[in-house]
Amino acid sequence: MSIVPKETVEVIAQSIGITNLLPEAALMLAPDVEYRVREIMQEAIKCMRHSKRTTLTASDVDGALNLRNVEPIYGFASGGPFRFRKAIGHRDLFYTDDREVDFKDVIEAPLPKAPLDTEIVCHWLAIEGVQPAIPENAPLEVIRAPAENKIHEQKDGPPIDVRLPVKHVLSRELQLYFQKIAELAMSKSNPALFKEALVSLASDSGLHPLVPYFTNFIADEVSNGLKDFRLLFNLMHIVRSLLQNPHINIEPYLYQLMPSVVTCLVSRKLGNRFADNHWELRDFASNLVALICKRYGPVYITLQSRLTRTLVNALLDPKKALTQHYGAIRGLAALGHNVVRLLILSNLEPYLSLLEPELDAEKQKNQMKNYEAWCVYGALLRAAGLCIHDRLKIFPPLPSPSPSFLRKGKGKIINTDPHKRKLSIDSSENQSPQKRLITMDGPDGVQSQDQSGSAPMQVDNPVENDNPPQNSIQPSSSEQASDANESESRNGKVKESGRSRAITMKAILDQIWKDDLDSGRLLVKLHELYGDRVLPFIPSTEMSVFL
Amino acid sequence: MDPEQINEFVVGYLKKKGFNSAAKDLESYHHHNNNGSSFTSTDYHNDPDLTKLIRSFSQQEDDPTRYREGYSNLRSWAYNSLDLYKHELLRVMYPVFIHCYMDLVGKGHTQEARGFFNSFRRDHEMVHLRDLQKLEGVLAPSHLEEMEFARSLRKSKVNIKISKYSYDLLIQYLQRTKSTLMLGIINEHINFQVYSGQPNSSSDDIEAVTIFGSFQDTANHINQKEIQWGLLEDSLEDRLEKTGGLLSDSEKGQGESKDGDADDSKKRSTEIGKQGSSLKKLKKDKVGNATAKVARLETITVPPAPRVKPELALPVMSTDVEQSILEDLRNRVQLSSVVMPSVSFYTFVNTHNGLNCSSISHDGSLVAGGFSDSSIKVWDMAKIGQAGSGVLQGENDTNDQIMGPNGRRSYTLLLGHSGPVYSATFSPPGDFVLSSSADTTIRLWSTKLNANLVCYKGHNYPVWDVQFSPFGHYFASCSHDRTARIWSMDRIQPLRIMAGHLSDVDCVQWHPNCNYIATGSSDKTVRLWDVQTGECVRIFIGHRSMVLSLAMSPDGRYMASGDEDGTIMMWDLLTARCITPLMGHNSCVWSLSYSGEGSLLASGSADCTVKLWDVTSSTKLTKAVEKNGNTNRLRSLRTFPTKSTPVHALRFSRRNLLFAAGALSKPAS
Repeated sequence: MSIVPKETVEVIAQSIGITNLLPEAALMLAPDVEYRVREIMQEAIKCMRHSKRTTLTASDVDGALNLRNVEPIYGFASGGPFRFRKAIGHRDLFYTDDREVDFKDVIEAPLPKAPLDTEIVCHWLAIEGVQPAIPENAPLEVIRAPAENKIHEQKDGPPIDVRLPVKHVLSRELQLYFQKIAELAMSKSNPALFKEALVSLASDSGLHPLVPYFTNFIADEVSNGLKDFRLLFNLMHIVRSLLQNPHINIEPYLYQLMPSVVTCLVSRKLGNRFADNHWELRDFASNLVALICKRYGPVYITLQSRLTRTLVNALLDPKKALTQHYGAIRGLAALGHNVVRLLILSNLEPYLSLLEPELDAEKQKNQMKNYEAWCVYGALLRAAGLCIHDRLKIFPPLPSPSPSFLRKGKGKIINTDPHKRKLSIDSSENQSPQKRLITMDGPDGVQSQDQSGSAPMQVDNPVENDNPPQNSIQPSSSEQASDANESESRNGKVKESGRSRAITMKAILDQIWKDDLDSGRLLVKLHELYGDRVLPFIPSTEMSVFL
Repeated sequence: MDPEQINEFVVGYLKKKGFNSAAKDLESYHHHNNNGSSFTSTDYHNDPDLTKLIRSFSQQEDDPTRYREGYSNLRSWAYNSLDLYKHELLRVMYPVFIHCYMDLVGKGHTQEARGFFNSFRRDHEMVHLRDLQKLEGVLAPSHLEEMEFARSLRKSKVNIKISKYSYDLLIQYLQRTKSTLMLGIINEHINFQVYSGQPNSSSDDIEAVTIFGSFQDTANHINQKEIQWGLLEDSLEDRLEKTGGLLSDSEKGQGESKDGDADDSKKRSTEIGKQGSSLKKLKKDKVGNATAKVARLETITVPPAPRVKPELALPVMSTDVEQSILEDLRNRVQLSSVVMPSVSFYTFVNTHNGLNCSSISHDGSLVAGGFSDSSIKVWDMAKIGQAGSGVLQGENDTNDQIMGPNGRRSYTLLLGHSGPVYSATFSPPGDFVLSSSADTTIRLWSTKLNANLVCYKGHNYPVWDVQFSPFGHYFASCSHDRTARIWSMDRIQPLRIMAGHLSDVDCVQWHPNCNYIATGSSDKTVRLWDVQTGECVRIFIGHRSMVLSLAMSPDGRYMASGDEDGTIMMWDLLTARCITPLMGHNSCVWSLSYSGEGSLLASGSADCTVKLWDVTSSTKLTKAVEKNGNTNRLRSLRTFPTKSTPVHALRFSRRNLLFAAGALSKPAS
């Protein structure tokens, strides 16, 4: 028969006060009750679907009753699902848990917290068809195990990191190897063995699983052991070995490694003893930086820009210690000549004026400070000098190989000289090189341009001597040379070479001046700032042109 | 057998059947005969078969157990029949089953009917679960009258396609066993369409499943009507191609026509045979030219849709809007099975189970939610984005500005309805919102003024869905009152009423050319209506449960519909046939959306996933399938699970970014 037994109908009839219900009537009513209930449920399910839900609620039933023009049943719109209790003593008899509520309690209870207002949160469910692993998206495990789902939902307030822990096994041998290297680096007692270890690090294959541990180790130790100069040096050596090892792809760990290296470059204080040659460490670190940038710069576009920004900030901050400035300069210099030209040379003038008082031994009584200042000065000079050297080197090669060979020989001679010299500013050199060039153009125009090679050069000698304007220049360079070695013969040779080159280079230089006047200006500026000390960096041939 | 006895049986039978006067006549006739000569009635009285038959009529007519016996015999026979014909014979079982049941109910044998139903329902549960659930409640003759579904079943005949041999087998069996009851039921309610040849394979018996179109014939008749499924002429897409705004588009057009030519030539070549080689060479050359385009061509092989004239007076679009749309179309990402869209998901939080519907504007900047507390809330996502950055910067003063005139709220609250809001839709430019509610009204809101402009009254029952036409101004609504209606914004009376569905109309969708609307209903059918005439022009039969969502492909040729069970069906509007069912969801499909160029279909479901389907492959492959018999033609490309957020709404923006929205629902604890 119907799933509604006639007893139910009778009970309900009694409860609403109908006592004389015929059993036949109950029997007839029972199927109809079932049909009506089904009908209401059908409508309620429609309401549920249109409310975009998959669980039926009391409001859906109310909606269905409304549809049938039946008065809704009030008092059940609690929202939550009903809790059914088992009747004690009966296995399948249930009743709804309907507690009696005292009005007094309800009235006196504090107001509940206002429910949170509806909001919209926006996130990427997928980017070009790939789901990003962000906390807003369903974590991978949820797809596999729906049971875990609930744990995540219940605390959807704070974002949950969905990155899964990576498990991998490190072999016993590798663990020992790592421990040994770490000990050696820390102990500093056995330099010979450590050197062996570095060679091993730089060449052994199969060390890749250890790279994260090494980078972590280095980062930790650098931040802890800034006072331990030897340790820092050892660590930097390890870095270099790791970089050298062809079997290691260190790229993913650079982000962890770079801060350590840069720290060793521009930290205020490295080591705690006076004897610690932290300059050396800084130089070493600067080379590492350059190496990294050269190798990984193309891959990490932002690497070099970020690095230079850090260094320039360190350099341009007058509050920073001179040691930091030194490191920054060395680092920038190591990054290449373009960086130097753009970032150091542009700031050179103001910086030197800042450095001036420190340099002066009389003004700066602190010997240490004075020494540091000179170191910085030296670094600057080296950077600027190398830059200008490079600048001049990029000029097209001279037509004949032999003059250049000759010149190189001369260059060496001159190179050695200025180191011995003391500060003496050659007044003649303050003249503009362009002017000189113009004066040079006069006589050079007379000579045929195809004169090249060693033979013509020899021939040129007498001609040169007859050139009055050339002579007017010559003293300056010869003077400088003679100042240094007082060797007439050598001086003559210099003169000779300078002149010869000047003649052969004329055409080329014409072009170069057109192209790149600013390198000339740069040189002048440098000279103004440094005086003669910049000269060693200038290849003799070019120098003589400019001078 | 005694002739007297036989006469008694006949008289008894006639009386039972209510032919009282005939029985009286017969009796008097017999009396008369007995009085006179009794020679006439011997020829049929002596036929033993006939007497048996007559006896069976009179004796067992009223015996409810006969149904059970007859049915179970037929059932065991069908299950033991030859494998080749079994599925066809089993197909007959279901209509026999439900009619046996309804006969029993109709005769008042409630108890037996319930017993019969329960003992055999398992056979049919897999395919017809929902029908059975409905019928289960039918317990009294009056219910049969009252219930639409039962009534339609009783009235109409079921069409069953059956092969000649299966049909013969069945008839033979029924006659041999003298199961006249079953024969009667089959004759009364089944209309066999016998065809010669081998029986069909059981895999594509979609029609066998849906034999319950009470209106199968009318449906077939209706589906003969002609429809113009093409896009509107002079549409924006057309203009875009004409102006050459997208150079590659015009290239593509050429490529397509070339490709079409090539295909034609290929066909011809197979026919002509000998000339083929030269043609092939030609084709090769073409292919060589078009190698660069090949990748693109593959995605679009459908010939361009024909153009039709609008039947409605369409609103004029302002040039600014037009320009922005053209700009969007130019910047559209060409999606395919290889190029996937990005999905931006809007999660409603703290809805307290009150969010009934959500809608996303065409550019994704506005999101509306309709709540069961009669309110509508509209979020401007652009502003929320600013607010987010403002908070990040820690600027306190800007916060107040962003919250806007509504004080602390981040949304605009629209109040006016007096019942749960079941649907909301944005006009294409996003300046209006329409909402429909259980209070039987549709309301028009302005997003600029944040105010209610018009209240449209016409439906008599809750309005389940409302949709703006692709060009705005017109909109369609559908309701529990089993009608769909067409409205225009400037009139408070509906322009058209579409009646014909046998149950609630649950969803409505416009055809891209505005000349048709499609409606999905709880009667498990989808219908296509001509907007101008208000006539039903297509009936799509195939769903097994209530249709919840509809989407039209941008070229106007195809339609997708999603139902309560999670099945999505792709329909060809021209033939009214299901191209392919897309199975994958395991709960209600709330929302469907085609990508801008129609190559992908996105579906959002109550099972907390967004799925992407490769539509081109499923439409293209039908040809291949016919050849190969390969049934694996549907392709689910991707599934994006959300974090316990059922997906309520989906929309591809004009630039093919997919927006999705849903309410975070805490699992029942």
